[in-house]
Amino acid sequence: MTLRLLVKSLLGPTSKIGVALASLAVGAAVVSALTSLYLDISIKMSEELRAFGANFMVAPLAGEAEAGAPPTVRGMATERLEAAIASVPADRLVGASPYLYGLVRLDLGNAVMVGVDFPGLRRLSPYWQVEGSWIGVAFDDRNAMIGRRLAESMALKVGDGVTLLNRAEGQQTRVTIKGIIDAGDQEDDQIFVALPLAQRLLGLAGRADFAMLSVVAQGPEADALAATMTREFPDVSARPIRKISQSDGQILGKIDGLMALVAATILVITTLCVNATLTAMVARRTPEIGLQKALGADNRAIVAQVLAETTLICLVGVVLGLVIGYGLAQVLGQAVFNAWVTFRPVVIPLTLGVSLVAALIAAVLPVRGAVRVAPARVLRGE
Amino acid sequence: MFFHMLRQSFLEGRKRKILAAVTVALAATLITTLFTISLDVGDKMAREMKSYGSNIRVVPKSEAVPLRIGGVDYNPLKGRDYLDEADLPKMKDIFWRNNIVGLAPTLRTPVRLGEEKAVSLIGTYFDKPMPLPDDPDYRTGVRQTSGFWSVDGAWPQDDASDQALVGVTLAGRLGLTKGATVSVVDEATGTSRSFTVSGLLTTGGVEDDAVVVPLAVVQEMAGLAGKVAEVEISALTIPENELSTKARRDTEKLSTAEYDTWYCTAYVSSIAHQIEEAVVNASARPIWQVAAGEGAVIGKIQALLLVVGLAAFVSAAMGVSSMMNTTITERAREIGLMKALGAAGGEIYLLFLGEAVIVGGIGGLVGWGLGLGLAQGVGLMVFGSTVTIAWVSGPLVVLVSIAMALAGSALPARAITALMPVEVLHGRR
Repeated sequence: MTLRLLVKSLLGPTSKIGVALASLAVGAAVVSALTSLYLDISIKMSEELRAFGANFMVAPLAGEAEAGAPPTVRGMATERLEAAIASVPADRLVGASPYLYGLVRLDLGNAVMVGVDFPGLRRLSPYWQVEGSWIGVAFDDRNAMIGRRLAESMALKVGDGVTLLNRAEGQQTRVTIKGIIDAGDQEDDQIFVALPLAQRLLGLAGRADFAMLSVVAQGPEADALAATMTREFPDVSARPIRKISQSDGQILGKIDGLMALVAATILVITTLCVNATLTAMVARRTPEIGLQKALGADNRAIVAQVLAETTLICLVGVVLGLVIGYGLAQVLGQAVFNAWVTFRPVVIPLTLGVSLVAALIAAVLPVRGAVRVAPARVLRGE
Repeated sequence: MFFHMLRQSFLEGRKRKILAAVTVALAATLITTLFTISLDVGDKMAREMKSYGSNIRVVPKSEAVPLRIGGVDYNPLKGRDYLDEADLPKMKDIFWRNNIVGLAPTLRTPVRLGEEKAVSLIGTYFDKPMPLPDDPDYRTGVRQTSGFWSVDGAWPQDDASDQALVGVTLAGRLGLTKGATVSVVDEATGTSRSFTVSGLLTTGGVEDDAVVVPLAVVQEMAGLAGKVAEVEISALTIPENELSTKARRDTEKLSTAEYDTWYCTAYVSSIAHQIEEAVVNASARPIWQVAAGEGAVIGKIQALLLVVGLAAFVSAAMGVSSMMNTTITERAREIGLMKALGAAGGEIYLLFLGEAVIVGGIGGLVGWGLGLGLAQGVGLMVFGSTVTIAWVSGPLVVLVSIAMALAGSALPARAITALMPVEVLHGRR
């Protein structure tokens, strides 16, 4: 009997089940999409924050260089640096490059030359404003990139050739300027060449001064990573660059807070909108309830019936909403971050919980009204 | 007659109308909150981004090529150009003066510190009063421009000449602690001084290996009274776009109108340009690491709020629409009666739309008020400051609310007015 009543009321001609279902589904879709996005935002924004450049430095342990070693074996072996870099989980590492500094003579005067790994450097410094173009490969020994101020003072343009000379080692080579860098920092006074070329010019084969890394980690996370790396490689000192890693954490905290509040606001209001629809739906069935009471249904049966109905609609709505919401989350993820949003199972119980609570609250008021209905008055048409 | 019917409908179906208005109000609250926050979030986040440090660096125009490796200077100090400390207030007196959050000059000189040679002695402002014509209480220094500096101990006073911060790496090497005394000898002039270590400084940069003291001390030791080597400026800027990229390549190529737009917009490049105009021999450059990074991240946050807002807007609009839909279909009988008594379809249609306008308008106004309050709450909770109210949001939100109510009413109203009175009255629909 109960079952038949339930089916009848849900599919009967007077039921506006479609409307309630649609609004519940939309509500659940927004809830699940926002939850998915919120759970992903920390990692996504953290990747965006990598636009601020390197946040991690790996250098030989202080003092090693001075320990009686001749200047020709300055810095440390690149293999050790690479091994240390490789210990960072691949999905966390955005970019990395070793650095080798040295003084060289250009045509018009002395300059600081930096040997780097260009593909890595490009990911480390997405903020560089480059005139001309980047050097794409790590072993290019015919091209160089030069800082804006150094280029201006040496009267160099993109496409010009310049001789790099290291008197001490008696090495020289000619390179073409492929790009001019505007960084606003000390890089503006330096000339960048591929690491193997710098090593040859400076007579420091296989060595580098230190390495810079761009890692998806902020604040305490970066400190923990540094500690792990120092423990695994006792000959290096790994430290987060405070300016970047600390600020990343601070900014992420704010974004998280903002999103949490905005999401909470949206959830509450969506819930209330769903509520209104359900309230109207139950209220419309007052005459029917009156009739049931006249036929002998007690209050408990009526309450049970309304609640069962609401729950059933809610379940169907949530299933629909989850599917739509997953799609919506992907659209949002693509629109903002150009990336897919990970599906997290925790979203399902969460959405279901929120929707059920919303629907049941929505049902409470009209149910209270329904049990107070006097059958006679309803049947008379009042 | 129309107004009479309208009034009647409101008096009779009060409860339902209130419910509809509440739904509209809730949606309007949401829209107002998101709108207000997203308008202000760029500015708010730009302020937060100040923790990444300054975004413009000013150096003398004719500075010789500095040969600095890892903070150690290979160029002699002699023959170098400097900026005048007296010019600093001019940098805060440009068109975008209110966007300049802080500035900090630096002057460094190599010193001997016990066994250590070529240690950088850096002079700067910590939190120094710098009276300006229109703001006599203005204070500035690294505590504003370099929010990421962390000091274990106390910051030195700007007017004390015997206090210093020592970088953690250097302090660790020499075994220095808070309260210890260090004496330094200037390598060029031979002047010596001793300082009390007021705190240990961690920056993760070259300062970790240096001694940081008030600017005046370095000027005196290096014999460079009233000079500074560079100035770091922290400015609130808006993200770069096509125009500013064009301007950066070549200001000459801009048309007059483009130049004016560029000049009067807070791009980092136009602020740098105005600083160069204000101080004769200065060259101001954006620190792209901070400036470009800020642009990228603020752009993302705004996009995020926008799409989230849109999603919420759609769901709210659907909620309102379905609510209106329900209230109208419920009144089929009443409509049938009206038609039977001779009302034209158009009149009934108009009646519903009139109702929707009233419900939407009232709901919109209430929701707008609530939304403004909610936006302030969000601003205070997340950023610790109030959100600027854009008054344009008022009419906007009310209009959107009315549109939502109308959209919800239009379709069902049309379906119902098309019904035959007899069918409806008979109970068959």
